[in-house]
Amino acid sequence: MRRLKKNPVAFAALIVLAAMCVFAVLGPWLHRVDPALQDVDNLRAFPSALHPLGTDDRGRDTLARLMIGLRVSLLVAVAVEAFNVVVGAGLGLAAGYFGGAVDFVVSRLADMLFAFPGILLAILISAVFGSSIGTLGDGAGRLLLVSGSLALVGWPLMARYVRGQTLALRERPWIDGSRALGASDVAILLRHILPNLGNLVIVSATLDVAGVVVSEATLGLLGLSAQPPQTSLGKMIVEAFGYITLNWTQVFWPSLALSVLVLAVSFLGDGLREKV
Amino acid sequence: MARFVARRLFSLIFVLFSITFLTFLVGYLAPGDPIQAMMGSRRDPKIYARLQHEYGLDRPFTEQYAAYISGVLQGDLGKSYRFAGRPVWDLIKTGAPVSAELGLTALGISLLVGVPVGMLAAIRADGLFDRLSTVGMLLIYSVPGFVIAGVLQIMQVIAYQNKLPSLPTSGWGRPEHWVLPVLVLAAATTGYLATLTRSSMLEVLGQDYVRTARAKGASQARVMFHHALRNALIPIVTVLGPSVAFVVVGSFAVENVFRVPGIGFVAVQAIGTRDYPVIQSVTLILAAAVVVMNLITDMAYTVLDPRIRTR
Repeated sequence: MRRLKKNPVAFAALIVLAAMCVFAVLGPWLHRVDPALQDVDNLRAFPSALHPLGTDDRGRDTLARLMIGLRVSLLVAVAVEAFNVVVGAGLGLAAGYFGGAVDFVVSRLADMLFAFPGILLAILISAVFGSSIGTLGDGAGRLLLVSGSLALVGWPLMARYVRGQTLALRERPWIDGSRALGASDVAILLRHILPNLGNLVIVSATLDVAGVVVSEATLGLLGLSAQPPQTSLGKMIVEAFGYITLNWTQVFWPSLALSVLVLAVSFLGDGLREKV
Repeated sequence: MARFVARRLFSLIFVLFSITFLTFLVGYLAPGDPIQAMMGSRRDPKIYARLQHEYGLDRPFTEQYAAYISGVLQGDLGKSYRFAGRPVWDLIKTGAPVSAELGLTALGISLLVGVPVGMLAAIRADGLFDRLSTVGMLLIYSVPGFVIAGVLQIMQVIAYQNKLPSLPTSGWGRPEHWVLPVLVLAAATTGYLATLTRSSMLEVLGQDYVRTARAKGASQARVMFHHALRNALIPIVTVLGPSVAFVVVGSFAVENVFRVPGIGFVAVQAIGTRDYPVIQSVTLILAAAVVVMNLITDMAYTVLDPRIRTR
């Protein structure tokens, strides 16, 4: 935090990000309009007192939908990064520290997933399992599927970073020293290696969030993310393309929200990286 | 050199195995019963068994996978579930060249724009052009393609409403339909290439041999093109592979936003109708395209940089 204050861009990005979280989480309590309600008298409306950002082609309030769409983006991002940190960093740590068979299995598994460019595999998985896992538990299953497929293609990168760093740390003299003093593997991992990985993990997880947000929106655009009555920013954008000649502001709002979110996360990540 | 090629080929086989195995696995685990879906409400065990056999779904996992691989190697991507009996290739063969042309044009444009922009920025680091282009390139790199598509389309709509010349926002067939999709598809890669060229040029310009060239009186143009650019291009060549990946993933969104009848468009329609073999095949083709491009890139890299060969 203290280091962030010295970097005005990253600090501003952090504030924007916090504001967007507040907007997404607390917004629906302040702007009490049902995001699924279809106001058929106001289809594709321009901004008004009733609908501050207008409505979409079914008369649904865009401000309210923006809030729930942003919630989906943030929830997916948090879930994916949690998985990356626990599983990706965990496997990378194990591969780097123990080497041998563990390293071989983890590295080949990561290589296998790396073979797919970008989110192609995530598109395939969320398309194929959308009708089964995706329909479980009132929208929760869909979020789980989206987060799961993005996490699956995301963890190898984290594992690779952490493995490399662990390999370098393992050879340091103070690790040899504590091993000579009789420290167990667990103690060395917890006391000497984990604390030195903290920064790397935090920075790479933050930098990764921007990609995850865009990926979620891309899945939404393809109709693979949150389903009605929920929505995704990507889905809002693609739906609004259909009537862009009648009301272009409906493409604008979700695009703006998405861009601001992505840029804020990128600047914050860059700021953290420079300071580390 | 021979060892290098051998190692590359080995890793190519591993990558192709991974891609086919994972796409096959996803299709194998896919929920629902495609045969019953094809038969609709009819219940006839005989027809069911025949169809199941025809699609090879009555065989064990390993045999199905082996059959899938040998089919793929012979250009047989399986049969569509939705259009019973129609080969998948039939459905995507019209889309494939469209996507390929669109992608290659976009890649060409991003090279033609990105590399010179990065170079110009590096020549006067921290100058006005450098600052403006750095921010601009960062923007088009980090803002997702479909948002750029949105901005461009909004501009067309406003231009159209004000009776100014405008481009069509969707459709395919006439040359003007190409402009917006190509621009959007090229945007991220252009930003990426420009940023990379800039940093690569800056690094090279600080090298001793550039200073030596300047000291012996070489002109600015000769230093830039003969001494600096040739070395700065090496890292740029290596990212051509990843750039293709950008374009490939971007084409899904772009083709659907602009209604371009490429394979990304076909894939999304297949998603809607749960035609798994089509989605599987599109994934496979796109991944393979990236893999092949990576291989070409690696080969070009070795030719350009003799230091790699001796390693």
